[in-house]
Amino acid sequence: MLLEMRGISKAFPGVQALDRVDFDLRAGEVHVLFGENGAGKSTLINIIAGTFAPDAGSFEFNGEPMRGLTPHRARVIGISPVFQEFSLVAEMTVEENLFLGREIAKAGVLNRGAMRERAARTIADLGFALEPGRKVVELSRAHQQMTEIAKALMGNVRVLILDEPTASLTESETVRLFELIAQLKASGIGIIYVSHRMSEIKQLGDRITVLRDGRLIATLDAAGVSENELVELMTGRKIDLLFPHVDHRPAETLLQVEDLTLADHSVEGVDFHARAGEITGIAGLVGCGKSELIRAVYGLETIIGGTIRVEGQAYGHPSPARSLERGVCYFPSDRVVEGLALGRPIRENVSMAALDLTRFARLRIMQRGSERRIVQGIVDQLGLRPPNIERVVGNLSGGNRQKVMLARGLTRTTRVFLFDEPTVGIDVGAKVEVYELMKQLVDSGAAIVLVSSELPEVLHLANRLYVMHRGRMVAELTGADIAEQRVLACFFQDEKTGQAA
Amino acid sequence: MAEAKSTGAARPAGVAWTALLVQALLPIALILLLLGFALVESRVLSAGNLLNLLVQASYLAIFASAQMMVIITRGFDLSLGTCVSAVSVVSALAMTGSLAAGGEATGLAIAAGMLFGLGMGALIGLFNGFAVAWLRVNPFVATLGSLNICLGIATMASDGRPVFNVPREFSALVYNGSVMGVPMPVVLAVLLLAVLHFVLNHTVFGRALFLIGGNPTAAAVAGLPSRRYLTLAYVLCSLIAAVGALMLTGRTGSGEPNLGGNLTLESIAAAVIGGVSLRGGIGGVPSVILGALFVTVLSNGMNLTRIDGNVQMIVLGSVIILAVFLDRFRAVAR
Repeated sequence: MLLEMRGISKAFPGVQALDRVDFDLRAGEVHVLFGENGAGKSTLINIIAGTFAPDAGSFEFNGEPMRGLTPHRARVIGISPVFQEFSLVAEMTVEENLFLGREIAKAGVLNRGAMRERAARTIADLGFALEPGRKVVELSRAHQQMTEIAKALMGNVRVLILDEPTASLTESETVRLFELIAQLKASGIGIIYVSHRMSEIKQLGDRITVLRDGRLIATLDAAGVSENELVELMTGRKIDLLFPHVDHRPAETLLQVEDLTLADHSVEGVDFHARAGEITGIAGLVGCGKSELIRAVYGLETIIGGTIRVEGQAYGHPSPARSLERGVCYFPSDRVVEGLALGRPIRENVSMAALDLTRFARLRIMQRGSERRIVQGIVDQLGLRPPNIERVVGNLSGGNRQKVMLARGLTRTTRVFLFDEPTVGIDVGAKVEVYELMKQLVDSGAAIVLVSSELPEVLHLANRLYVMHRGRMVAELTGADIAEQRVLACFFQDEKTGQAA
Repeated sequence: MAEAKSTGAARPAGVAWTALLVQALLPIALILLLLGFALVESRVLSAGNLLNLLVQASYLAIFASAQMMVIITRGFDLSLGTCVSAVSVVSALAMTGSLAAGGEATGLAIAAGMLFGLGMGALIGLFNGFAVAWLRVNPFVATLGSLNICLGIATMASDGRPVFNVPREFSALVYNGSVMGVPMPVVLAVLLLAVLHFVLNHTVFGRALFLIGGNPTAAAVAGLPSRRYLTLAYVLCSLIAAVGALMLTGRTGSGEPNLGGNLTLESIAAAVIGGVSLRGGIGGVPSVILGALFVTVLSNGMNLTRIDGNVQMIVLGSVIILAVFLDRFRAVAR
């Protein structure tokens, strides 16, 4: 047994991220960590990599108890993580990054020749198409990912942690990565593979550990477990119970976007529209531009071409304040960075997007009584528990934080709701409540645009589903066409044509 | 799930207890400090000294509240001290200048002095606000730059010497006067702080400052005109500092190019000790008053017990660092 963890617990302010979780890893196996966002996967791998210390539990590596493990110490003893957020220095070359913190030097002077040679050898061994002399900032995300993996494999590696490594890789790069994983397995390295892609899990995994809400649900052999079983273990309920039945009654077009292009070209020549009384889904891989698209409509990205119409009226140069005035509201995916002032109470966080309304402020003087009443009403409606609006938002759980942000959309007359990954990092119960809210909004005649990387979410909720790929709209699916296979085919279609060309 | 709920229920009680302790910590420390000094030197608790403490704390509370306006937005103003010097010199020159030109009209001269002084303050604030909010210069660098600019203006305009002949009526108005036995500086400070308290808690602008300081990106996403409010915060900071500068000028009876002295450090110290968080989004007038009282009692007590001036500087510096350190626990308690 390479790694043995028993009863690992870890709490952060407002959440119990891990609750008495057991996990072990054998040499030469791929152990998949499976669970929804917020299930505790990343907390667990961060504990293994030495980023956090567990609050409780025992953690042994090679039979030795690990206490006071640091990221540096973990690397030295052979635990090598590859996180989704890269640890590369953008302005340095690939080769300099590979040796970051363990440069080959004699008497303090770098030995560039030796490093260049080792770097070239490592990259060749891995079979990656990487130029060692290129600066990281100039590389595509896929190449940065390869650099990160190469970096993790420098030196003596016993445990390799891969956190959603294929999220930004093309199909052929993915195939190459899987070959590499097979090689590493054969050489006796234990691999922890974090993913929620069903096909990869079945293809790679020897064992699967399912986490939900910070708890260990099951550890099973990958052979002989069905996809449906896995989803049920992950979500804790039958999939058709998770999503409410939404009655779509499409009416007039509230949002019309034509030929939209952004300054950073993350979105190019995109058309789409959203109608009252239906959920319009936008699916796509990470970095395909789907999030930038709705951010641009709301006024958070620089637009260089195209037109936007809200309720038929041309809407040029959007800004958040003017979008809100026109009844367009955006809920950012990253609630901590873009959504909430964590140190301030719920009341202020809810009313913050409506301070221009006389209900909240008259002649620039806050109407505090009216504010309290309105916010309390919305918070009760959304079922925030406990319903104390003076609580500081930083002390709330992910689900409650999301409700605080969504409450903001109900403080004013809003007809177009732009949801950006609305269920990231919240537990299943809160997810269901978010879906229920969407259903209510659609029933009351609002237009909802749902951008999500969680395929089941868009597949089950959207009446019309757009698929984006590399900044372009590649499909618009309706009715029976909204199916996993169709969407996946769209994700990869121009890769095939691209390779042929 | 049941587990998560039980920890959730246990939490608020614990938080409330620590929060209460943190709240009570400063008033208790203040009283202990006062009693401690009184043990060594009985004059500390004499009526005369207590009144003196109140007047001193009034000045500091004004400067600390100026500082607070920008600390709430995650900034601070290093130019506050030299801004006070510049305002003092400019207002004194305006008064003496208009007296020399217009003869006997003292009232007019005083009005001109105030106008120029406040105008100077507004200008400095506008400069700082523009640099921070629109040019996106780090507040540390922006206000460090204007610190020097203000110092240059104050020294140049006064040739480095005090500007004498400030009309006595001005001192009578802002320093020597009293309302129902309460010294004028205290009256002015109470009025100013009351207005600020209202602005912070009952206006959209005040609310926006807390939200911008709490999370600038979220404030922008929620459609708040952050840059406009941020600029206004710096203008208000320097304007309040200018009011304080006029009051100090009345006290000394001359425009002083070195009037600002330690005010930057002391104003930041009072605000932070009072509980205005350098991480932004937290603060209030009551905090500033407590902080100003604490710093004033500390330096007054050290003066009366004849502790060396250099030692006093070491103590004040250490207390600031301690306050910032304790602020981290306050964040945890929240």
